[in-house]
Amino acid sequence: MSQSSTTSSEDGSKRANSESVAVDSVIDFKGKHFGLESTSEDSDDYLVSGSEGTMIDVERFCHADYRIEQYAHSVLDFSSQYGIDLSISYTAPNITGRPSKYPEYGDFPQTFAMRTYGAWWERAPSRLKEIQPQNVSEIPAEDFIAIFETYNPGAVIRVWAYTIAKTWICLWEDKEFYTKPLYIPSRARRFTPPLKRIQLPTKTIRLEFNHQRLHYYTEIDAVLLSGKKFNTRNMQHLLDYYERQRKGSILCKLQNMKFRPICRDNYQNRLQHFLMHDLDKFISVLSDVQIQSIQHQQQQQVQSPSTGEIKISKIGLKNMPFEIMLKIFSYLDLKSLFRVGAVSRFLYDVSTHPLLYSELNLKPYWHLASTELLSTLAKRATILKKLDMSWCGCTVQTISPTEFKKFIQQRGDSLTHLRLNSTKFLNASCIDTLGIVCDNLKELSLRNCSPSPPLLNFSCLANLKNLERLDLFQTVIESDLLLTMLENNPKLKHLNLGKHNKEYEFTLYLITLYALPAFCSVAVNMDDVAQHIAKYNKQLISLDMWKAHFLSAQGLLVLSNCHNLEEIDFGWCLREASLGDSLREFLTQCTKLKKLFLAAVRGLTDRDLEYIANLCPNLEQLDLMGVLGISKERYIDILQKCAKLQLLDLCFCDNIMDYDVALWSRTFKVDIKSCQVPNDFR
Amino acid sequence: MHSLGRSSKLISRRLLCSRFSALLEAATHVISNSAGHKPRPYFISVVCGFPKDFETSNYKPGKYGEDSWFKTSTPNADVLGVADGVGGWRIYGVDPGEFSSFLMKTCERLVHCVDFNPQRPVNLLSFSYCELLEQEKPIIGSSTACVLVLDRENSTVYTANIGDSGFVVVRKGRIVHKSEEQQHYFNTPFQLSVPPPGCHHRVLSDSPHSANTLSFPVQVGDVILVATDGVFDNIPETLLVEILKEVEGVTDPVKLQMTANSLAAIARALSFDKDFMSPFAINARRNNIYATGGKPDDITVVLATVAV
Repeated sequence: MSQSSTTSSEDGSKRANSESVAVDSVIDFKGKHFGLESTSEDSDDYLVSGSEGTMIDVERFCHADYRIEQYAHSVLDFSSQYGIDLSISYTAPNITGRPSKYPEYGDFPQTFAMRTYGAWWERAPSRLKEIQPQNVSEIPAEDFIAIFETYNPGAVIRVWAYTIAKTWICLWEDKEFYTKPLYIPSRARRFTPPLKRIQLPTKTIRLEFNHQRLHYYTEIDAVLLSGKKFNTRNMQHLLDYYERQRKGSILCKLQNMKFRPICRDNYQNRLQHFLMHDLDKFISVLSDVQIQSIQHQQQQQVQSPSTGEIKISKIGLKNMPFEIMLKIFSYLDLKSLFRVGAVSRFLYDVSTHPLLYSELNLKPYWHLASTELLSTLAKRATILKKLDMSWCGCTVQTISPTEFKKFIQQRGDSLTHLRLNSTKFLNASCIDTLGIVCDNLKELSLRNCSPSPPLLNFSCLANLKNLERLDLFQTVIESDLLLTMLENNPKLKHLNLGKHNKEYEFTLYLITLYALPAFCSVAVNMDDVAQHIAKYNKQLISLDMWKAHFLSAQGLLVLSNCHNLEEIDFGWCLREASLGDSLREFLTQCTKLKKLFLAAVRGLTDRDLEYIANLCPNLEQLDLMGVLGISKERYIDILQKCAKLQLLDLCFCDNIMDYDVALWSRTFKVDIKSCQVPNDFR
Repeated sequence: MHSLGRSSKLISRRLLCSRFSALLEAATHVISNSAGHKPRPYFISVVCGFPKDFETSNYKPGKYGEDSWFKTSTPNADVLGVADGVGGWRIYGVDPGEFSSFLMKTCERLVHCVDFNPQRPVNLLSFSYCELLEQEKPIIGSSTACVLVLDRENSTVYTANIGDSGFVVVRKGRIVHKSEEQQHYFNTPFQLSVPPPGCHHRVLSDSPHSANTLSFPVQVGDVILVATDGVFDNIPETLLVEILKEVEGVTDPVKLQMTANSLAAIARALSFDKDFMSPFAINARRNNIYATGGKPDDITVVLATVAV
């Protein structure tokens, strides 16, 4: 019976996996009592004893029987959201407060939705390869947390809590996520996972999502925490206790034991004498004992029924050639690597070899990443090629920017792949160092790296000249710098500029709707970028401009210069009345197109869809969400002519009925998304 | 008095994180009044209305036909709003009520956002308008709008009005403030609109920043009426004042509701009266259009009095 108690506090922050959201609330969990003998009943004093695992009776820190329920108060951080920053539609702040649409089921703008869904992005030309994939595995890990999902439930895989002792603890993990197929009915769901009981009050909840097996976008309406109120007066005692705990169990035991070794006189001399003369004898005696015991065991084996000669072999792991050991260890994840290094000198030598550290992925260890870890890794990773430090350093300032800067200075010159998505420890000098030191960078990913107020100056990135992949989703950099970077990197293959717009541009965008000529110059921002791409980055394979406003038909037209384009996302761009011939021109030139996303490009007409049908034989994924006024024949046309089509998103399109969609889906073997939201949403 | 203050702090800390915030507010009301703080006014508000097709349609909360309304309050402000969807869209297959309904609902959500500024109701309208464009489901149409905010800190009302909906403030039997109708030409008010793609040029679209803004202090007992043109076009001003001055200073919501109901009923009755010289007919004649009788239209009445 999960009797987690939550204590009320003000905020909530959620973090999500590809998405995370952090919710603040102080959570206090009542622990089990394993042979606990508390001798003092005084609430200001406690004595802990017990055999294994000291547990503390936190119950006495709570106000008796005062249960409360609280909804998330504010969002500390998120890694992606569907809506743009100042909006209240599909954005992260919608998860705070009471659920507004639950128990209704559907695609509502009053909920929190994330950028991607399903495995479609893994199938696109711009798919990413995970760095050190063996790290991403299950983390061993046991009042309630209720998550209100109003659309496509089933994406939450982990729930974390951030305790007062400044550690993250995983409260629940979906262990069967990778093995069992998902079946959750399409209904609004109030999801309450069974939580592990921990002893610490916490202030922050983090939700991790993995949408791989989802059919469509998942949307969350609210997060509810329930439990007992924690009496903050006793917090200091608890903190001290856990501070001491953190030092390690041996130290703790020593402290508790009140051990004082009794030394005779001149013990120092005796120690030296021992070390000089008797140590070798001691060791040889020990190994003799060992060999004797092994022989003893082997003798026993010989006496047991045998099927032939028993080979008594003394060859073990430590006799393996070094290279074999390296190969074996290369399959280990980082945590196991560190652990195995603590076994013996030989294994330590193997496990610290630089070849095992050419790729480093610290994303699954975001809660453990610290300055010390970085400096340890710096000593070992002398030929570091790929580094992924996404999510590290968020809300917990455990990585100092100076340490990171030192790390890059030491090890950055051989870096070819660097991912720093959603990190919070970057500052201006870190970016400078990146630009100066890492000139071999082929892949740079800085998703979601613009805190507000913006304090990052990315200008040194202009030094990078070998980039093949650049990901600036939800990060804003100065347009001049972006243009310079495009010029300097002719080998660029993958570019992501999704949600590339500053806050004030939102209001300016409103003004441009009324075609005030004075502000038009700002509106052509993305067109400039498109011009540069067309001129300098002809090798581009994938381009993502989702919600990067201010792209016009003119920009689309010039992009037809990039003949190698296979993937393009123009969702929520191209807001003007009609695209004219630009789409046709574009499709004529870019024949290799496999993924074409045109969500909410409201100016699309029947003619444009005709072009898509006729000019894109290789099309695999097509998104036409929210486009009105297309006739049914056009859809059928596309389904017939694009033989390789796998995904077709027709949500919020008109002129189609549910039975049409079902029929087409069966006939053409295409995954068609459609949804009808009742007209009068409340 | 001192201990009362301290105990109120204790109570507020306990109650702050619970669901009893309403209780807390009432408690602080009592305590702060007794401690001699400045009185904070608030609205007692009621709503009534009739859709044009009252006999044949179902009631939907928040809407009367193509009209829509909202009223909400935060600890610092009370907000009232009405919007009138332009009916001409029906012939293009667009439901005119969708636009106005979305506008009002988004305004209500925006009021509860952190960055709501009670002194700039125009921001409500402009952000609500921007939200329209961020919807996955495309929303097309146009509507007028009128938003009225009472800022409790300084007992001042801030308003923003686009088009021919409006408000009227009655004090001591006279109208002390009222909104101005904004029209391009007769029966074509200023309107916020999102046209279908390709029709930008043919459709009237006014910026939220072209809204008329007014702000004025209010006193306890003032009567505020926010309504769509279904009321102002059918009820002459003198009759309006007669009705409204009855409820000056009334704090009983039942009485207020009765007055609102009768206002709406009168407006409806007059709108179907063929011989009555309604303000609409008078206006039409001024524009060289021969018209008599009332104007059948959706009627929305939001009636509020100021209390402390």
